[in-house]
Amino acid sequence: MNKTLVRKSLFIVAIALAAAFVLLRRPLSLGLDLKGGTSLILSVNVEGTSSERIREVVQQTRQILENRINAYGLSETSIQLYGSRGNELLVQVPGVSDLSRVKGLLQSRGVLEWYSVEGGPYSSATDTAAEFGGVVPYSDKLVATKPLQSGERMWYVLRSQPVIRGTDLRDARTAMDSIEQPVTTFNLTADAAARFQKYTAANIGKRSAIVLDGEIISVPVIEDVIRDSGEIRGAKTVQEAEDLAVELRSGALPASIELMQQHTVEASLGADSVHRGLVAGAAGLVAVVVTMLFYYRWAGANATLALALNGLLLLAALSCFGAVLTMPGIAGVVLTIGMAVDSNVLIFERIREELRTGKSVSVALSAGFSKAFATLVDTHVTTVVSCLFLFLFGTPPVKGFATTLVLGLVTNLFTSVFVSRVAFDWELAMQGRTKKLSLGMS
Amino acid sequence: MELFRNADFDFLGKKWWFILPSLALIVAGLGSIAAQHGLLYSIDFKGGTQTEIRWEGKPPIENIRSAISSKLQGVTVVAAHGAGGSNEVIVSTALSPQENVTAVRQTIENALSTITTRYSILDFEVIGPQVSEDLRHQAAMATAGASGGMLLYLSYRFRLGYAVAAVLAMAHDAVITVGLFSLLHREISLTVVAALLTLIGYSMNDTIVVFDRVRENRRTQPRAPLTGVINRSINQTLSRTVLTSGLTLITALSLLLFGGPVLHGFSLVLVIGIVVGTFSSVYIASPILLAWDGRFGEKTLAGGVR
Repeated sequence: MNKTLVRKSLFIVAIALAAAFVLLRRPLSLGLDLKGGTSLILSVNVEGTSSERIREVVQQTRQILENRINAYGLSETSIQLYGSRGNELLVQVPGVSDLSRVKGLLQSRGVLEWYSVEGGPYSSATDTAAEFGGVVPYSDKLVATKPLQSGERMWYVLRSQPVIRGTDLRDARTAMDSIEQPVTTFNLTADAAARFQKYTAANIGKRSAIVLDGEIISVPVIEDVIRDSGEIRGAKTVQEAEDLAVELRSGALPASIELMQQHTVEASLGADSVHRGLVAGAAGLVAVVVTMLFYYRWAGANATLALALNGLLLLAALSCFGAVLTMPGIAGVVLTIGMAVDSNVLIFERIREELRTGKSVSVALSAGFSKAFATLVDTHVTTVVSCLFLFLFGTPPVKGFATTLVLGLVTNLFTSVFVSRVAFDWELAMQGRTKKLSLGMS
Repeated sequence: MELFRNADFDFLGKKWWFILPSLALIVAGLGSIAAQHGLLYSIDFKGGTQTEIRWEGKPPIENIRSAISSKLQGVTVVAAHGAGGSNEVIVSTALSPQENVTAVRQTIENALSTITTRYSILDFEVIGPQVSEDLRHQAAMATAGASGGMLLYLSYRFRLGYAVAAVLAMAHDAVITVGLFSLLHREISLTVVAALLTLIGYSMNDTIVVFDRVRENRRTQPRAPLTGVINRSINQTLSRTVLTSGLTLITALSLLLFGGPVLHGFSLVLVIGIVVGTFSSVYIASPILLAWDGRFGEKTLAGGVR
């Protein structure tokens, strides 16, 4: 028995098993149109009454929320204007496991400020006032920390004027600090960096306070001169640090946001129609398989194997990328199947042509595969090139289409060229001296 | 079984039989779009109304959908649940500028009352489009970029003439399909856009398979006249063209016939696209390649060998 052939087959089996394992561990999540999710109505609290101003603020809010949602990886979430009052947004989130995190991301204003600490901590607001003889000085203000695990808050007196604000930030990321705690790191604009350097140089050893949305999240001691970058500690989990980075990157919301309504919605395409669509698609595929078996005989079985494996690998790849499958994604799957069928047909027809010129079976097989492969490279690369642009410039649904299609094309090249070839080689290896291919030729 | 064992049809000789109807379709489609002042866009692009209805018991979604669809454009009906687990139905409709918002609400109520009286309207609101203006601008960029990218890659792998012919054939298919949608008074939704992308990919794939064979044949016979080479190439790939198109058409037809009303727009584009895309490789892309060769001569094509 041919050793390379066995090794190749084992490789294929291993990949198929890995894909099945991935899918079992982490099933593909379906989008709002196929499976439903949650629909939220948010109200933007715009100050002032000019409709021009309201429109501007709401549009800006929508843009920022879209950026946050995209950074979270939920590109299939839609945000649209809602209602006649002009300050409401309808957000439709596909069925995600962590809705409360998404809601936090949507509702947090993301206003970051850095203050110098004048006094504290105190256990209550009245304590603080007593300390200052009844009144907090005009140039200072009293701010509470985020509730601690025990639910208690601590109070600090801060200088009213912040040293830096969220608008001074150039970028924010997450990292691990020296003791493996998640932190959010940030970079400052040149202007703010100069200011911050001066401030930190003059205040080494003193405390400062980082305030997010009106609550102190950490009170670091200034250990050294900081120029244009720093880090924010105090996040309990990596997720929390990530969310803060996303909020800081996308910028602060121009107004606060209130959650008005929350609904769980069923599939917008309707559960009934999704089911019908699946049945219709399956019926179509069965017809394709039957036709191929009839027309190409044994080779048709090879094609079916390649097609099935392609489907499995594509779904597993999508699941690995954490993709949410929606209608445009399914369109990508449909085109993938179309091109997969085409790849097999191209190869088989080419082998037939080579056989007709009187070549021996194994020569015709090699020639057919290598010639068809040249064509396949061109069709696949052209499509990948166009998908690249769709992904760069496309709207979120179009991006879903492009991602699915590119993954599908990669898995297709593997299954229709490599897997199908191994299947043909097995067919020949099982035969005696006189080789013959079952390709439905008379 | 073997289809077209030694096919020898004169495809290019009969090209006008296909180019003329195709031109007629393009003109009719563009005319229809112009006459209707643009395409019919769905709620995804234009915004519309959204009604929230509380229902006693399990709502008959399918009945509600058909009752309202018969009166209004672009209707989607979705089952939903409020905070307390109550049964609710969310009905979205498109809203054309001529339509009055209160009239739409009245129409929905009338349609619902033909089903039952045991419902109450919780909320009726106007909603903005899901695809905002700047996203539409983005879509234009994506289309231009994708076409440009394909043009570059194909010019590199083949020759400029091939690239221009393939991209024009692709544009031809998209224009015909969009035109047919306008003629049939069907609206363009996000789902239809997804289908259009699929059809473009399909059409491009088909054209490249034929061109690939033309390139190969030119390499082996650089002196043969291009008309004959193209004809032979189409004949050689005829079995695969018919089989692939046939097989994909089976799937698309199955979706169109059995997929239900929601998938109708999607599968209609696919069916039209597969048929038009297959013909365009033979009767649009190939004649353009030939014309390009006649115009710019051997210098640019030079046998298509790189």
